Parts: sequence; C-alpha cells; structure tokens
Amino acid sequence: MQSTIQSAKMFYILIAIVAVSSLYFVVPGVIVAEESPRTFLTHTGLVIQTTGDVIDPIGYDGQALDFDPDKFMKEFDYGEVTVLDDGTILREYYITARDDQIMEVSPGVFYNVWTFNDSVPGPTIRATEGDLVRIHFTNEGSKPHSLHFHGIHKAEMDGVFESIGTGGKFTYEFYAEPVGLHLYHCHVHPVEEHINHGLYGAYIVDPKEPREPADEFVFVLNGFDTDFDGENNFYAANTVPFYYQHHPIEINANQNIRAYVVNILEFDAVNNFHLHGTLFHHYPAGTDTVPSGYNDMLTMSQGDRQILEFNYKYPGLYMFHAHNTEFSEKGWVSSFLVKENTDDFDTQVEYDDII
Amino acid sequence: MMTSSKPVLAISAIAPIVLLIIMIAFLLGPASSFLQFGIVLPEVSIEKIEFTRNEIQATVRNTGPVNVNVVLADVNDRIQPAAIEPDTSLERFETALVRIPFDWNEGQPYEIGVTIDDGTRFAKGVEAAFPSLEPDLDLFVFLGMIGFLIGVVPIMIGLLWYPFIKKLGKNAFNFFLAFTMGLLIFLGIDAVIEATEISENHLSSVFNGELLIATVIILSFLALYGIGKKLTQKTEFSKLSKGLAISLMIAIGIGFHNLGEGLAVGAAIALGEVALSTFFIVGFATHNTTEGLAIAAPLTSTKAKIVKMIGLGLIAGVPAIFGTWIGGFSFSPFFTLIFLAIGAGAIFQVVLSIFHYMNEKSDLLSNTSLFAGISAGLIVMYLTSVII
Repeated sequence: MQSTIQSAKMFYILIAIVAVSSLYFVVPGVIVAEESPRTFLTHTGLVIQTTGDVIDPIGYDGQALDFDPDKFMKEFDYGEVTVLDDGTILREYYITARDDQIMEVSPGVFYNVWTFNDSVPGPTIRATEGDLVRIHFTNEGSKPHSLHFHGIHKAEMDGVFESIGTGGKFTYEFYAEPVGLHLYHCHVHPVEEHINHGLYGAYIVDPKEPREPADEFVFVLNGFDTDFDGENNFYAANTVPFYYQHHPIEINANQNIRAYVVNILEFDAVNNFHLHGTLFHHYPAGTDTVPSGYNDMLTMSQGDRQILEFNYKYPGLYMFHAHNTEFSEKGWVSSFLVKENTDDFDTQVEYDDII
Repeated sequence: MMTSSKPVLAISAIAPIVLLIIMIAFLLGPASSFLQFGIVLPEVSIEKIEFTRNEIQATVRNTGPVNVNVVLADVNDRIQPAAIEPDTSLERFETALVRIPFDWNEGQPYEIGVTIDDGTRFAKGVEAAFPSLEPDLDLFVFLGMIGFLIGVVPIMIGLLWYPFIKKLGKNAFNFFLAFTMGLLIFLGIDAVIEATEISENHLSSVFNGELLIATVIILSFLALYGIGKKLTQKTEFSKLSKGLAISLMIAIGIGFHNLGEGLAVGAAIALGEVALSTFFIVGFATHNTTEGLAIAAPLTSTKAKIVKMIGLGLIAGVPAIFGTWIGGFSFSPFFTLIFLAIGAGAIFQVVLSIFHYMNEKSDLLSNTSLFAGISAGLIVMYLTSVII
C-alpha cells in the first residue's frame, strides 16, 4: 500500500514536471520594452513606433553592400590596347570565373554568387567596331565555365561546346562586330543555373564614328532566385534591389542621357522598362542608327538589349522601373534625380573617349 | 543488495545520468566535427497573423535546428518595409513579432512572408483579413456569452432528461448508459481529430504534434483512471453513490473536453477564421446537449439532488467559458491541443468506467441494449455534428 501511494506521488510529480517544462517551449520570450521606441516611417507614409529592428531594403540607409551599383553603371573596361602592324587595334581583357563567393545581394541576404572578375554582373567590355578583341579567360571555379559572347565570330570562339574546366584557361579572340549593345555569359549547362548565380555582363561595340556625346549608364536588369524554387526572390537594375531608389542617380536637365539596358533575367520570360517624366528614343541591340521608336515603355525578353537616348526638360525626382509591378516591388525600381542644368544646352559632360 | 547503503544507491542512480551528460558533452564538443554530415536546413514558422489598424503583425518562431536572422518581410510576395521586435536574430524556438505597416482590406485574403539571411522565404496565408479584437470588457462579455451558450446552457438542457430516464425500466436504463458511451466515444474521436487538425495547421512540426496528442491522451487516461478508482472506492465508505461518482467522472471528462473546445472556438473568433453565425452557435449547442444526457444517465440509479445535478452541469460546462476567454485573448495552439487531448483521454477513461459499472450492475445478457445504445449514441452525435 505504501509503495502504491509512493508511485502515485511519483506519477503526479512526473506530470507536474512535464507540464512545467512544456511552458519553456510555449510561452513566447518576454519582450522587454526599451525606454524610447523609435519612430519608423515607411515610404508609403505609414508610421509605426518600434523598440525592435527595422528591416527595410527600400529605404535602406545602412552600410554599403559588397557591390557598388553607382561605380558599376559608369565603369567600362576598354582592355589593354596595342596597335598592330596593320593598324588594327588589339584590346586584351582578363576575365576570371569563380563560384565560391558569398555576396550580400540585399541587406542581410547572403547568396552564393558565381562571378566574372569577382563581380555580378561581370565587367562591361567595351571596344570599337573592327578592333581585335582578345579575352584571356581563367576558370578558378569548382565547376566548368565558359564565355559566350553575342556578336559575329567564328564557331570555335562561341564558348558553347568547349567548357573550361577547373583551373583551365582559354583565349577567346574575335573582331568587334557588329556595332551595338551585346552581352556575354557563361554557356555551360545548366545555363539557367549559371546565369541565376551571376555569370553575365554587358558588351558594347562602339561605331568608328562615335555616337553623340552623352552622359552614359549601363543597366543590367537581373534577379536572384535565392531559395531555388524557380522564381526570382529579388529583381534589380544592377544587382542590388531598390539601390537607385535610396541612391537616386544624379543627372542634369537638358543633358543627353544614353542608357545601355541589358535584360539577363532568368525564370521570367519578359522584363520591362518604364521611364517617368520623359520619353526615350530606343535602338534594339543598338545596331541601327535610326531609333525604332519614341516611347516610355520597353518590353524585353531574356537576352534582349536596348540603347535608350533621352533628356529631361524639368528638374526633379523621376522613377524608372519595371512596369510589371511584381518586379518593381521586389527591387527593380530606380530613380533619376534631375538637377537644373546651369550650363548651356550644348555643353555636355565629357564622353568617354577611346584612344 | 538489500544491505546497500544509501550513498551507493544514490551513486548507482546518478552514474548513468553523469555518463550520459559526459557523452553529450563529448558529441557536442570534441566529436562535433566528426558527426557533421548532411545539410542543416533552417526553418521559420509563422504562428499567428493579426490585422490591426494600418498594420499587419506576424508572430514568427525559429523552429529549425540553427539560429537565423529574419531580414525581410513581404505581403503577397511583395517586399514591404517592416519592424521586427525584439530584434532580427532568432535563436532556436525564439519568437519575434514582425510588424508590417500596411493598409489592408477587410475580408481579403493575404499571404505574409518572411525571408531569412540565406534568402529562403517562409510564408503563411490568411483566408480573410479580419481586424484583431480589442481586448476590452465588451470582448470579455461577448466571449463569455459564447462560452455560456455553447457550454453551460446545452448541458443544463440535456440534464432535464433526467426524470424521463429515471422512469424507464432496467433495460431502457442500460440502453441510455450505453447510449452515453456512444456519445462519449464519438466525442473522444472528435477531440483527437480536432487536436490533429490544430497540430497540422498551427503547430510547427518540431513539436511532434501527433505524438504529443498520443502522449497526453494516455497520461490523462491513466491519471483519471487512478482518480476514478479512488473516487469509487470512497463511495463504499461515504454517502457518495457509485452512480454519482461516475457522473462526476463524466462531468470532469466533458469539462476538459469543453475547455479545449472553448479554446478552439475562442481562437477561431479572435483569428477571424469562422464566420460566427447564429447557425454555428445553434449547431454547437444542439451537439452539446447530448453531453448533458451523458451526465444524467448514471444518476438515475440513485436519488440525485437538483443542486448536485446543477453542480455537475457547471463542472462540465463552465470550462467552455474559460476556454473562449483564453482562446480569444491569447491563442496558444499548443495548449488547445493539450486540453483537447486531456479531454479525449478523460472521456475514454469514462467510457471504460461506465462499462465496468454496467458489468457489475447487470450481467452482460443485456447485450442488445449495450450495442443498440452505443450505436444510437454514435449516430446521434454524427447527425448533430453535421449541423455544425
């Protein structure tokens, strides 16, 4: 009898222990209020007060991320220049592929990027029509990679059937033709994976007779599927979502602007580009001297490029973004801050002259 | 062995525990690199979504094996600026409140998502946005009324069958006892299913909801079996009759059940998951009337005072009021599940008690009334459940 009472006691103690210990998992951590909550204002004008952390990639004002879209949009790689005996200009470029880097693609989001010269997108390769382009390619990645350039070249320079293995090198050589805005990317299968991870870049072939002077920008429209469900989690012009929203691009009113727009978005069949406050002349692939239209909307499929030329009449803050609002609300939204042009209409910023 | 001194006994009890601790320390420490294989995937669960004025609030919990940072919030897969309290970093099992300023529309479906530092997105949908209830006196009274209507009133009505059953013969009495068993079996199964649904919809898989339900049912069954035994043993010495003891056990079992049910109903009201129509209340009340009958049936073998009967009805019904209050003001899927499982265990124990009671009172030649009663009880419960 004594023992049964004992065991009954033990049993109830056990139940009590189980009940109390279950509280540990169930009761949410006690939130200790700070003395002074911070006010948090969103871009839509809604206000809340919080004692916690603000997570806002749209109005981000924290530390700069690994990739600098401001630097990228105005940086062109003209290569190492040699004049050959016959007067041809030889441009030599060095591109290294890697696939082991982790990059902060959006504030707090770390993603394994595959890179050309440690950057997504890779460097913007720029040459003049007729130049001899020689690209020294090294694969320092753990997977095979290649360089596939759009444009006119020999089949063996196409970078499709010859993938370069780990530690391998290859020299691609071709004449820069035709004039226009092209792109390059890794063409190793599965191509979708290599592109989603960041192996692409812009390739510009300038005409021998230079284009009109203008303030020039490169916008590579891209995205990242960070959870591998076959849908992009982030969209952007130049990699960092919302970047030009919190860092508007400063330009002058009455100043010719030329934008090199490359669409390398994966998973979504169509991307688009909408400019506020003015319209642009656009040149598909930049191959023609006559604009195809005067518009504020461009629809681009995967791999499409367009050169846009426009200027702003009035100063102020103007958006440009994907009119597909899903893309814009996941990062592909940007803006120009147009300043009053104190100079004469004809005065232009210096054109990146070559040689 | 009999002469073992107490210290030796203590050491023999503690030694395996000490060795286990040493082994765990070894596995987590020096051997941890040796054991690392496979990929550890983080997991975040959104446990609750509430809609307040110009704001959507999501309670998120780290239910994965590794610490995570919540770095992004979205509404319908569109990135939104948000605040997270207390901060972005979530340790194992830690919760945080994600506050998204958002001008939401009532009655519209929404999907709320959060993205963690490795870029993985976790989301949960809400069928219709519903303003979360202000925890004020009005809500308190309202929830109390609902609990009273679905818990207390139907049971009291059911108890009114008492004089009718009392006038019946022995066979008819056995029929009604068996009928009660049928009702209770149905109620028990219903509670298990409801607990399983809550486990699937609201509880993260890390809690092993199904196993928790099974564990709690068995524990509650065993605990109440012990209490029931004591209670019926005492009846031999006290004035407490055996019939009353069984009714009390039934009332306690149903009380646990109604607490769990009240929690579920209160939570459904607070989360706006059900359109709380008059029809819903009518259905629930009809269904629960049978619970009153279950309490009344064993009493008919004895003289029962009206006060005692009301007392039993309150024991069974009042927990529903507490349930709607707790569920409505702070819904915890974990506790709702626990109470539903306790109720199920208690009810199955009561079924066994009634069976023993019938067995003692009469030979099992009255088998026909046993089977007819159980079948009728199950069918009546099913039919009233369809109305809900």
